[in-house]
Amino acid sequence: MKQYKPSYFIGQAFRGIWRNGVMSFASIAVLMSCLVVLGSFALLVMNINENLNDLGLMNEVMVFLEFDLTEEQIQNVEREIKSIPGVGDVERITADEGIRSMMEKAGENAYLYEDFLDDNPLSDSFRLTYVDGAKLIDIEYNLRHIGPEIRLVRDQRDLAATMQSLKNGIMLIFSWFLIVLFIVSVFVIINTVKLSVYSRKSEIIIMRYVGATGLFISLPFIIEGALIGLVASAISFLAENFLYGYIQTALADLTGIISIVPIETIRIPMLLAFIAVGVLTGIVGSTISLSKYTRE
Amino acid sequence: MIEFKNVVKTYKNGTVALNGVNLQIEDGEFVFIVGQTGAGKTTIMKLLLREEKTTSGKILVDGIDLSKLSYFRVPYYRRRLGIVFQDFRLFREKTVYENVAFAMHAVGVPPKKIKKRVPALLNTVSLGDKSTCKPDELSGGEQQRVALARALANNPKIIIADEPTGNIDPKMSLEIMNLLVKINKLGKTVVVITHEKSLVDYYQQRVVTIDHGLVSEDKVGGMFE
Repeated sequence: MKQYKPSYFIGQAFRGIWRNGVMSFASIAVLMSCLVVLGSFALLVMNINENLNDLGLMNEVMVFLEFDLTEEQIQNVEREIKSIPGVGDVERITADEGIRSMMEKAGENAYLYEDFLDDNPLSDSFRLTYVDGAKLIDIEYNLRHIGPEIRLVRDQRDLAATMQSLKNGIMLIFSWFLIVLFIVSVFVIINTVKLSVYSRKSEIIIMRYVGATGLFISLPFIIEGALIGLVASAISFLAENFLYGYIQTALADLTGIISIVPIETIRIPMLLAFIAVGVLTGIVGSTISLSKYTRE
Repeated sequence: MIEFKNVVKTYKNGTVALNGVNLQIEDGEFVFIVGQTGAGKTTIMKLLLREEKTTSGKILVDGIDLSKLSYFRVPYYRRRLGIVFQDFRLFREKTVYENVAFAMHAVGVPPKKIKKRVPALLNTVSLGDKSTCKPDELSGGEQQRVALARALANNPKIIIADEPTGNIDPKMSLEIMNLLVKINKLGKTVVVITHEKSLVDYYQQRVVTIDHGLVSEDKVGGMFE
């Protein structure tokens, strides 16, 4: 029996946006700013994480070998490492793999490393993990005393602690920003939809008296909020994409020192996250502003 | 059937609008509810529309206890009613046809059925030739006829008219009242809330007088005292 066309609700939503043009624009602008700031923080956190991982901070110790070792010597070292109590996984990284990994991380700037494929400045290394941090001093002592084949043993306890506290600080700020900006955005959208609802107050009253359900009355406004969120998220995504690309290019010279998460790998998750946050904010804002008018 | 059983309504500010109203309106009846301003007429309308809930007592409409009606069932209950207001409450930017059609669209009637029924409704209220006009191009009486057509759109059993002639001239008032009588003869229960003595006296229907929140008089063929 029920024959509601989606086009009716979508049409009404667009009418609402058009009718309150200035407020709709303001909502989009505020929500967009919030999303860009949030997105930037999220990307910053993501990049810090990436660099922390690169530095082998996750209970990892890097053992760099001397140059020009024979395969037999390297295998002997590997056996020695594996026999040290407390050592978990041991992964050998050849000099060639090391360069290729750096090229992969450099993305578009991989060409900078091409010359090193023939004349590799790296030596083979081992990445090993440990479970109990208390045994790290013993593990390191044993590693350094394997023999002259060991050039460098590196763990990043101090740096890890610094980076971890930096990461925690940024996460704290990020969380606060997330809450504050979400609330601000919801309030702006509440006001926009409220205006829209107010301008259609008499229509809503008529709808209620003829027996329209709450959903029939609310849906256009909820779609209006969602559309505002969608437009804001699309613009934010483009802006963030441009900004990140710009920063990535600007920091290209530092490739090798710091690694930047390539934009290509995060584009889709970023777009989806923006749409989810934007549309959700729009829907929450609309629903709150409608509650008074659709009540019985 | 509409039944008010010892209905008391006290608003949040302490105003006692109804103070134990007992009333029974049978199916197919035509009833005037009259009374001075502030007597409680509008509260009766609000309670019947389930805009307000009783403080105590019961209202039963076709066996439905309005005080027990859940929020989600209210729209479905309202589809049993056709409402006419003093100020018409039409969509200004919609045509006469669209105004009537909207009431059907809002409750999910298929477009084919709407196309068939709306012209018939407009003919019932003698507005078949004005279907493309907008409310502002119509007289007050004509606008009220559009509101009547809309009230009939979903074929309700009960028509509730709140001061339906309050905003129109005496000649048009008679037209509207005649239409309501005609609708009543089609088998609908018609409840007219008014304070227009001349109309009440002229039509000689059942008259329920509300005074200080109570039914002070209930007479068939009565007069507005």
